[in-house]
Amino acid sequence: MNGAQHILKAFQNHHIDTVFGYPGGCIMPLYDALVDAEGVEHVLCRHEQGCALAADGYARASGRLGVCIATSGPGATNLITGVANAHRDSIPMLVVTGQVPSSLIGTDAFQETDVLGMALGIVKHSYLITDANELPSVMEEAMTLAQSGRPGPVWVDIPKDLLLAEVTRPAPAPNQAVAPEAMAISAALELLYDAQRPLLYSGGGVSLAGAESAFRRLAEASGLPGVVTLKGIGNHHKADPNHLGMLGMHGSRAANEAVEACDLLFVIGARLDDRATGNLAGFAPGARVIHLDADHAEFGKLRAADVALGGDLATLLDGFTEALQARPLATQAWTEQCRRQRTLKGLQTADNEEALAPISGPGFIRQLSRITPDDAIIACDVGQHQMWVAQHYQFDHPRHHLSSGGLGTMGFGMPAAIGAQFACPGQTVINVSGDGSFMMNAQELATIRRYNLPVKLIIMDNQCLGMVRQQQELFYGNRESQIDLNDNPDFVTMARAFDIPAMRIERSDQIRRGIETILALDGPMLLHVAIAREENVWPIVKPGASNRDMLDASQQRQHPTTSKEITA
Amino acid sequence: MSQPAPREYQIECRMTFEPAALERVCQVVRIRGFEVTEVNASLQDTGWRIALTVRGSRSLDMLRKQLEKLHNVERVVADTTQRITQRSA
Ligand SMILES: Cc1ncc(C[n+]2csc(CCOP(=O)(O)OP(=O)(O)O)c2C)c(N)n1
Repeated sequence: MNGAQHILKAFQNHHIDTVFGYPGGCIMPLYDALVDAEGVEHVLCRHEQGCALAADGYARASGRLGVCIATSGPGATNLITGVANAHRDSIPMLVVTGQVPSSLIGTDAFQETDVLGMALGIVKHSYLITDANELPSVMEEAMTLAQSGRPGPVWVDIPKDLLLAEVTRPAPAPNQAVAPEAMAISAALELLYDAQRPLLYSGGGVSLAGAESAFRRLAEASGLPGVVTLKGIGNHHKADPNHLGMLGMHGSRAANEAVEACDLLFVIGARLDDRATGNLAGFAPGARVIHLDADHAEFGKLRAADVALGGDLATLLDGFTEALQARPLATQAWTEQCRRQRTLKGLQTADNEEALAPISGPGFIRQLSRITPDDAIIACDVGQHQMWVAQHYQFDHPRHHLSSGGLGTMGFGMPAAIGAQFACPGQTVINVSGDGSFMMNAQELATIRRYNLPVKLIIMDNQCLGMVRQQQELFYGNRESQIDLNDNPDFVTMARAFDIPAMRIERSDQIRRGIETILALDGPMLLHVAIAREENVWPIVKPGASNRDMLDASQQRQHPTTSKEITA
Repeated sequence: MSQPAPREYQIECRMTFEPAALERVCQVVRIRGFEVTEVNASLQDTGWRIALTVRGSRSLDMLRKQLEKLHNVERVVADTTQRITQRSA
């Protein structure tokens, strides 16, 4: 068995049945081995970034390892954005690339790039194979590592000659999962019982650890109000009255104000990212902190924790639940107060019922949320539409919401939806995109067509880079710079060129029919939704400001300040 | 935001051998806000033994935890007897 065959064997041993890739010179031995391989479906995307993001979407939707493959040089560099995306959101991913033959490394050979060096900052770990007999242990280790502890991408770079060389060493037995650390939770419980106004603050770590049910048990047993980060959306049950919504830059007022008012922040699988916390000085100023995470390096990174507990989240959460069931908290008054705030300051605003009114972004997403089945998976791109999805779609599970959180990668949505549809063939998968983001990986329309994936594509077209335009308006004195996209292609014609049916809507009374039409079709379909150029995402916290200083539509004209510290 | 004055620290790091070991350590030190002012590294039978002097204003403990996350790192000993450096920033 040669190196290439061994890699495919390792996939089979780990029950990896779907991989996303693109061939080329140095990875050709692996593609040759694929011809005879059984049990592995190779999905050919149309750009390596599409492969990496599809593998990411596959992993997010399913919790399984996402695998992407590319050739050396441009193949590997094209993967970079997708791998960085997975790294920033702790997505389990295996990246396999061909490298120039061992003897040519360091000679500036055709399609040589220093993959190991280039990827250092965006991987959990990486390997350059120097002997084919390393492959059995490296493949085993790489697949285990990508999925254990705090997950992340692991990259294996293999010179072409070693893909062809004989592997004589057998594959080691698959690693056993590492037992969670046993941790004392009594100190944290003491803080909880002491507190008057404790608040749950949960993030993407909950679903990454498979602790979704454990989290909901804790939310129920504690009776505490909770806020979520962008990646924690869906942690709370959709109907949980104590869920105050997303916090942060585009979070709900109810969520941000609860964080400010609480005296104990119970952080669960979250890393206190700056888009969530706003200016740290004004973040939960009077609160003590309990921090639960799989990654010890998150403790005290941005905010000191009074008690930090590492290890398996589900086990830890169940420990708390048990204690709180035995001795409940006496914080009902605080929870009631937060519930009232949720009603007054949540994100539910009235829809514009007027039939001929232009389509509003939030209104459209709310309708989408009402019409789609409960288990629908919504991928989104990056920008205003992403925030409207986060704010107005009612998710019932974190794996139903695929959003590029840490990296904010425009172009994430469509490939992620492709990956999700492969992972969950029976579920409705929808990509909500902006007109800017859609064009960043538009080539993947061909992948949807080729595999006849029933992915539904929605473009919320405001004829501009809306999120950047909004910040230019609010924080740069309305000086618009390079955000205009009024020369977009005709998206309906474009989809049809890929043999994907499409329709356009522009008025409120067309929303329901538009959504129902794409959902009813047995196959892919694109819905082009024209929305107003001027629409903004509210509320908003100015980058670098405190979450206390949220702006909403009524304050729009009062803050035409300029700022140098903005990253859209 | 005002930063505390930079300090110098000694770190000793043991790592199993792999081709990018030294680069990984240097990269983590740099990206986490420190600069290397002295380095002494040798590859022994058991792997890399890397002694670093680093300077920075951020928490040494944070740097230690980030270094420990490197897959090949077996042990990090960070000397907490800090010295305030002469040079500011
Ligand atoms: C690859 C990449 N380039 C640039 C940005 C910066 N950026 C963030 S949002 C945005 C505008 C997105 O426009 P669009 O997709 O049309 O969505 P909208 O905000 O209009 O809903 C830009 C350029 C980014 N996040 N990712």
